[in-house]
Amino acid sequence: MSILPDRQRYSALVLPVVLLLVWQVLAWRASTPLFPGPGQVAISIWRLYPQIVGQIGYTLMRAAAGFLVAAVVMIPLGILLGRLKTVGSVLEPILDMMATLPPPAVVPIVMLFAGTGDAAKIAVIAYAAGIPLIMNTYEASKTLHPMATLVARSLRLRRLETMVFIDLPASLPMIATGVRLAVASALLVSVTAEMLLATNGIGVFLQRQQENFQIANGLAAIAFISMIGLIVNDLVQRLERRLLFWHYRLDLHNER
Amino acid sequence: MGAFRFMEILAWFRAIISFLIIIVIWQSIALLGLVPEKYFPSILAIAAGFRDMVISGELVSAELRTLSRALLGVASASLLGISLAVLGDLFPSFRRGFAPIAALIQPVPPAALVPMAVFMLGLGPKLYAFIVILVTVWPPYFNGVAALASVSDVQIRTGQMLGLSRWQILRQIKLPAAMPEIFAGIRYASSISLIAVVVAEMLAGHDGLGFLLIRKAFAIRIPEVYALMFVCAVNGLIMNTAVNGLRWRFAGWQLRMAGQAA
Repeated sequence: MSILPDRQRYSALVLPVVLLLVWQVLAWRASTPLFPGPGQVAISIWRLYPQIVGQIGYTLMRAAAGFLVAAVVMIPLGILLGRLKTVGSVLEPILDMMATLPPPAVVPIVMLFAGTGDAAKIAVIAYAAGIPLIMNTYEASKTLHPMATLVARSLRLRRLETMVFIDLPASLPMIATGVRLAVASALLVSVTAEMLLATNGIGVFLQRQQENFQIANGLAAIAFISMIGLIVNDLVQRLERRLLFWHYRLDLHNER
Repeated sequence: MGAFRFMEILAWFRAIISFLIIIVIWQSIALLGLVPEKYFPSILAIAAGFRDMVISGELVSAELRTLSRALLGVASASLLGISLAVLGDLFPSFRRGFAPIAALIQPVPPAALVPMAVFMLGLGPKLYAFIVILVTVWPPYFNGVAALASVSDVQIRTGQMLGLSRWQILRQIKLPAAMPEIFAGIRYASSISLIAVVVAEMLAGHDGLGFLLIRKAFAIRIPEVYALMFVCAVNGLIMNTAVNGLRWRFAGWQLRMAGQAA
């Protein structure tokens, strides 16, 4: 990405600034605390940011824990299913079906088994993050190039060794896509889970603000959530580019 | 053609077998009492719960509401996303200005929007329209922008050589070329829209599957909860089928080409 010429950079700013102004004018005209303008939201951000950052900390920690659980369970399972073709093809329709089930719908069941504590929330997040992980890993390891299997055989690798040294690295590019989807959905579901199984976290903060009719504070929290989401998604993408440099380099060569 | 038929039958066969296996495993766990029966009812109990809800009519009305909300939402979000992508393609300055807005709104979860949106939009259809569209408009938009920008120069030049206007080039060359990628976005959007509708119903609704799910869970009617989850999953399949059908209509050229090559 090169630096844009000055005129283009200004034209990129026009639309956001106009929208902010329109919002502010609408808020002045409505002049009710139920429809705050960007000014009031900025004040809320200034006043509440220590509290919001603290609550987001809880949320992020749970999202990370849920994602880790999902990655540790689902990536090996996906590779295993891709290797064991019969088991995989029998389980595939079930996976498809689970993929279409919205993660919040599992909340009531998780509540029965795990209550409303951290474990329950992490379980819901892990379910949400696990689906894209296992789908992508399974797909990648199922459609592995036949040559890779032949190489493994001629090296006399055992089954486990084949999975670790051949299947896993070969599936990494698609797993990375799964990771990106999984991180995004872990963040989304963590807020939802907090609102349904309230204890603490940014979801609870939002609900508290709603109960007290503090719309500006709620919008401030949403602004923080969106910033955090932006940063995390960007970090994941950068990490992927860095760790999978060989894959992207390969792509470049093929295009030439 | 014969081989295709055979593969199709095989796929159905596999689906039925895996379904049967799940039922057998589920039933044996329930019968062996590994998990308290209260939390893990047998298939028969779940089926009975399903039947009761169908007879009382609550399941059918909730299902129709949820499905129509999700379908309407994803349809309008897709149209909006494609229009915005076209707008961005015609006016690059719009695209640059819209980029930071899109980047900021996109990671906001539907659940976070519900409590604030309730004040401004009430609990009616406006709430669902707002939540679903704000959450699902992005995949078609981003895919559309990327696909419109990467239409090959040769195709565009050919259009210019044939004396097509800018609008005709967009309508007859660029959009059809971008459709497969746009539909990949719409497919993703359709699964998010179902999530957004169920979340909104759980948090703020007074009807629909999400609301029914929460109410049954608090009433500890566990078989009904499992039956509702099953219905939710079937909804996902319905949405997928609908999107695939439309995809065949609008982006079928790609599939037909792939079929010929094989």
